[in-house]
Amino acid sequence: MRSKLTLMLASFLLLCINFSFGQEKTISGNVTDQNGLPLPGVSVVVVGTSSGTQTDFDGNYSISANVGQVLRFSYLGQRTVNMTVGASSAINVQMEEDAEALEEVVVVAYGTQSKDKIVQNVSIVGEEALENLVVTSPDQLLRGQAAGVNVVNTSGLLGTPTNIQIRGVNTINGGSQPLFVIDGVVLTDNSNGFLQGANNNRSANPFSFINPGDIESLTVLKDAGATALYGTRGANGVVLITTKKGKRGQDATVTINNFVQFTDIIDLPEVLTADEYRQFRTDVANIQDGTSLQPQDLGLGAIGDPGSDFVDLIGRTGFSQHTDISVRGGTENSSYFISGSFDDQESFAIGNDLTRWAFRLNLDTQATNWLRVGTNVGITNTVLNTIGTENNTFAPFTSALLTNPTFIPRDDQGNFVRSPNFIPNIEAVARLNTNETDNTRIIGSIFGEISLTPNLKFKSEFGVDRQTIGVRLRRADITFAGGDANFRAVTDDLYRVTNSLNYTNKFGKHSVSGLLLQEFEDRRRRQTQVDGVGFLSDGLTNVGSATTQTVSTTVGGTPTRTGSVITGYLSRISYDYDDKYLLELSGRFDRSSRLGDDNNTGTFWSVAGGWTLSNEKFMENVGWINFLSLRGSIGTAGNDRLIDNLSINRGNFLPLGLFGTGQFGGLAATNVNQPANPNLGFEETRTIDVGLRSSFFNNRVDFNVSYFKRNTTDLLFNVPIPEQTGDLDQSLNSGELENSGWEFELAADIIRSKDFNWNLRFNLNTLDNEVIAIESNEIDDQGRRFTDVGGGGVSRLREGSPLSNFFLVRAVGVNAQTGDFEWLDIDGNVTTTPNLNTDRVDVGKALPDFAGGFTHTINYKNLDLTAAFNYSVGNDIFVDGLRFIDGFDAIGGTINVRRQNLNFWRQPGDQAFLPSPASATANNANQLSTAQLFSGDYLRLNNLTVGYTLPNSIMDRLDFFSSVRFYGTATNLWTLKGDDLDGIDPENNDSGSPLALGQSFFTAPQARTFLIGLNVQF
Amino acid sequence: MKIFKKIIFFFALTLLVWGCESRVEDIEPEDNLSTDAVFSNFVNLEAAVIGVYDGLQDGDLIGTPDFIADFTSDNVDFVGSFTTLQDIRDFDADATNGTIDNIWFDVFDVTRDANNIIVNLENINADDVQGAPANFDALAIQFIAEARFCRALAYLVGVNNFAQPFQVDNGNTLGMPIVTEFFEGDVEPFQQPRSTVNETHAFIEADLLFAMNNLPASNGIRASSTAARGLLSRLYLYREQWAAAANMANDVVNTTGFSLASDFSFYNNTSSEHLFQVINQPDDPAIGSDFDTFYNPTSNNGRGDLPIAQDLIDAFEAEPTDLRFTVLTFSDVDAGNNPGLFTNKYPNGATNESDPNVIRMGEIHLNRAEANLRGGTTIGATPLEDVNAIRARAGLPALGSVTLDDILLERRKELAFEGARRMDLLRNNQNLKPGGGAVTAPGANFVILPIPDDELNGNPNAQQNPGY
Repeated sequence: MRSKLTLMLASFLLLCINFSFGQEKTISGNVTDQNGLPLPGVSVVVVGTSSGTQTDFDGNYSISANVGQVLRFSYLGQRTVNMTVGASSAINVQMEEDAEALEEVVVVAYGTQSKDKIVQNVSIVGEEALENLVVTSPDQLLRGQAAGVNVVNTSGLLGTPTNIQIRGVNTINGGSQPLFVIDGVVLTDNSNGFLQGANNNRSANPFSFINPGDIESLTVLKDAGATALYGTRGANGVVLITTKKGKRGQDATVTINNFVQFTDIIDLPEVLTADEYRQFRTDVANIQDGTSLQPQDLGLGAIGDPGSDFVDLIGRTGFSQHTDISVRGGTENSSYFISGSFDDQESFAIGNDLTRWAFRLNLDTQATNWLRVGTNVGITNTVLNTIGTENNTFAPFTSALLTNPTFIPRDDQGNFVRSPNFIPNIEAVARLNTNETDNTRIIGSIFGEISLTPNLKFKSEFGVDRQTIGVRLRRADITFAGGDANFRAVTDDLYRVTNSLNYTNKFGKHSVSGLLLQEFEDRRRRQTQVDGVGFLSDGLTNVGSATTQTVSTTVGGTPTRTGSVITGYLSRISYDYDDKYLLELSGRFDRSSRLGDDNNTGTFWSVAGGWTLSNEKFMENVGWINFLSLRGSIGTAGNDRLIDNLSINRGNFLPLGLFGTGQFGGLAATNVNQPANPNLGFEETRTIDVGLRSSFFNNRVDFNVSYFKRNTTDLLFNVPIPEQTGDLDQSLNSGELENSGWEFELAADIIRSKDFNWNLRFNLNTLDNEVIAIESNEIDDQGRRFTDVGGGGVSRLREGSPLSNFFLVRAVGVNAQTGDFEWLDIDGNVTTTPNLNTDRVDVGKALPDFAGGFTHTINYKNLDLTAAFNYSVGNDIFVDGLRFIDGFDAIGGTINVRRQNLNFWRQPGDQAFLPSPASATANNANQLSTAQLFSGDYLRLNNLTVGYTLPNSIMDRLDFFSSVRFYGTATNLWTLKGDDLDGIDPENNDSGSPLALGQSFFTAPQARTFLIGLNVQF
Repeated sequence: MKIFKKIIFFFALTLLVWGCESRVEDIEPEDNLSTDAVFSNFVNLEAAVIGVYDGLQDGDLIGTPDFIADFTSDNVDFVGSFTTLQDIRDFDADATNGTIDNIWFDVFDVTRDANNIIVNLENINADDVQGAPANFDALAIQFIAEARFCRALAYLVGVNNFAQPFQVDNGNTLGMPIVTEFFEGDVEPFQQPRSTVNETHAFIEADLLFAMNNLPASNGIRASSTAARGLLSRLYLYREQWAAAANMANDVVNTTGFSLASDFSFYNNTSSEHLFQVINQPDDPAIGSDFDTFYNPTSNNGRGDLPIAQDLIDAFEAEPTDLRFTVLTFSDVDAGNNPGLFTNKYPNGATNESDPNVIRMGEIHLNRAEANLRGGTTIGATPLEDVNAIRARAGLPALGSVTLDDILLERRKELAFEGARRMDLLRNNQNLKPGGGAVTAPGANFVILPIPDDELNGNPNAQQNPGY
């Protein structure tokens, strides 16, 4: 095998060398379009070499080549021309328009469509946006890049999922994440956040399983016209991920991309040093008790004694490296893209790292003139070592802040010591404990396509998404007495089959295309979990070596075996007249096993229409408008992910009457543990969407605007049922939610010249969210139903308000005269004794007024610069952990506090952060209130990339390479946010629950990374 | 030729996926049984019948109401820290009381599993049941009878606690809502208004008669016709149908295999004494069946919440050699660390496997004695003979004559800590507490429990008890 490879490589090299020794001469000429006008910027390459040039403004070129070599002339929208070098030194070329190539094609649900003819509302993050953006996790490619898609980066820790919302939040108890589709394969969409090592209800982050370098484009389906075909799964929008494909007849391009990266923390709350802590606790105690004690009297050690900086002890500068190699090209009848990549990443936190290898094979071949077959397969293995986050004493970045800084985690010999209280020795946790998720995932499909007639194609596709997961946890004795371990083995299979007929034809000015598709999807999960406690020593790492093992009957809240099935029939018919009047009808009929027997089918539809004004006669003379179209759609989609937020253990069987097992006097028993709910159905969204797309000034400026209104009805609620049923509650479809907003996209070539190009892409979306109706027994004084269930006493779900508005007692702060902490009661009067229940008022919203991003791309000669920003305005964030890290008495005054707590009231006139320690409010200043609520407005430079591509003058001497690019990227370099967010990141890591948006305990810090890399092609 | 190839290929591809449609129905839960699975396999079906008994193991139905009956009367004191129980002790409970909600809910929880059998099994054909034995049809009737027995038992607990006894307004006060359907999604049949006490009693009586007529005389740890007769004798006694009560009790006494045990080792054991008890075994899921921790002091893994009341101690001390006093009680400290006397009828506080006594021969003899005395009959035996039989087992000398008070005193001592006292006082028009005032008087509002909030909120037809 190895010798074969060597031979291939050698012959490849020989080929290159061979040509270099030919008889070289200079060829020059002129290139024109079909009207005879000069064509500037036409690429001229000598086929089989890396030598190439471009035509100048007058269409002239000049290049060195040997007799017998072939010159290839190519230009976007023109048919490529090949000319063989003969005796003449002049070759002039007249190019012809290539009607097919001119049509920019967009990936849509179950197919593709011409960009100019699309009447759906989709956002595309295409090659031009992705080209120079270097990221280690592909979800970052969506950040701030598409209007209406809000990506909230959770934290800088590796493996934590990202919150992605398309046009707001459309559900309350159902799943709220969009559907992810890779090359047509719908990914497993149940909550299995735990498989990512994260403790939350979010779906697996599908982007963990793909090499960013493999992604060609991302299409976000937003309106009903675009999502109706996904039926019961389309309601939250869909993200279509398309991987790179080769092109037929294109020479192989080998791309090698390498980078190294250094990772640090952006910022963290500043807590007290050991001496500050000793002084603070002593001062407070002396004031409260009227004593004059010293720190050692309180058992804190004397000033000057050693202490610990736990944040420092658990942090590091992470070092990561990435390599990927891809080969892309095609032969006359086939095209291919093959890639392999390897990542070895470390975050800034000890114990948090990730290795990933990924292989991809995308192949497409015209086997006979009527049969096309192909495959797109990606295989990934990810090994993630994760650490706890948020409200969890085993979370390093929570407990490092809270741990008493006078605690020394190691003894004189350097051995870890046991923590004296319930917060474990967090350095030992970070260094000794294991939480490893090893996931091998295959996502791929094979297809065959038969051309029944030139206009009618039949395609059959088989796809899989299979995950084999092992999750291994082990806690060392020092962090958990005796040590414990657990191992989960999970296989999660999804396979799907589609059969489709595709018809396209043109009758004069009438263009018609139709799709008829049958889909079947089957998902199974099998899992086991073994827990073990009691280990002889930490050296025994495996659960099997524990003294006691127990096998769980559920894993992460789902049964050991579970599955679901969807069958769908769908159709889309597109029609246009003369490229001016466009109409598209979509429909889908779904049956889902997740729904109740009497309600398990759904019919979804959409009607979309468009009018391309720029193709009208009356627009012909308006030269500055290149493209102008109006478009609108109305239609429906559904959400059958019923279980995501309901704390029910029965996986995909929520509608079924179920019997559990029991025993009576030793006799086997079974009785009802879930009543039948045959009427349980999906949540339905209905979206109206209107928009305008336009392009001006020689296509230098693109401007798109759209407005949408989306209503979700039949919202899923857990409601109490009469006790006479023998059950307490049941899920019902009831209630309504509305999201509406505007979306703007602007792309402009601010400067377009030979050496200097400056492109700006900007997007903004507004969002109005209103809860129209909910199920609840609680009614406020204005007759609005509300519930605090799920809101944690922080957020309230109330009719007439946006989803999960913050509902808190208003904190005023410390009264400079009295030294008391003050709040406002329900009527707005100052009080020192607020009622935490009845004095709560609506104080802010969790969803932004508007959000978006903008990206500058600047090219100057061979230098390129990309600066990507994202922003969010009008939302608040709630940081629950401040109730512990602020104030005098959290956990009995035994934990560390933020530095601003040193500023407590001592005498009248003090502008203090904390009240007087002697005040009656001293121990309440940190209670639940707006003291933990902040404006979440921010503007962030999330990615700055600078690249330098070696100029042709050098490349000409490097025969082997066709392109060499050096680049450097910095992430999260700069953030504009409120002053009071010092140490707190505005992109907070909420649970993903629509009932508790914008709430976090302590979000682990964001990462600031610096990366340098090299990309070569040959 | 080419078209032929295309056709072959086309069908090869489509055949791969033929029949996918039916798969939606194929998805079955594998860690649970669906309703269909329960009724299509005999092993599952019988387990579903046992499942009804499994529901009885919930201590909030049989256990908690029994010790509540003891501490709201004069048998034990409640000294524990649970506020819901303190409120009940102080006759100050309201509709939000969680313990009361659990009792109410558990009546319907058992009813649900019973109705599943009662409603659905009738329509099941033996041919559709895998592994059905030859006598399936007879067994099916027996299974239904068992389910009806359990439902009757649950309703008896409900009507005793949430409704005034028959003696108030001749049973025309509010009783329990009567639920006869199995919940499958439609809530309307489960928003029943409350029937009267008489109607509730008639419902219970019909269930017990059905059980009596369709169950074997003895049936292991499961319900038997004898157990049904025993409960009927109690129901008739509570309803002052003396002859019927005496006849039922007499039939039980004459049933082979059931007789007064010779000593008190029958607690937590199988014995000819028991007509029916809720068996708890270590392997049985113990959720909610921890009533025995209340009776036991901390030294026996209990809470020490229920020391025996001085009034009962005084009653026993009148005849201090009573084995029920000397053998069945012991001294320890209560939850407040004060010395106290405790019952050892429920010795397994550590494992929650003590068996609550539902109906046993001791009560049968006392039922017959009281019914005969009040009815002026001597069905089977004279009241004196029955009382002396009970006294003899307790090691006490025979009485020469017997009055109603003698019978009630014997009943108190015999059935102490078994949940009988409260009803015995109320139906005999005696105050729950010695020297108790109007609050604990028979017929007073708070001697019965309030209908819980969850029922009131979920049922537009719900009716609260007066005074709450």
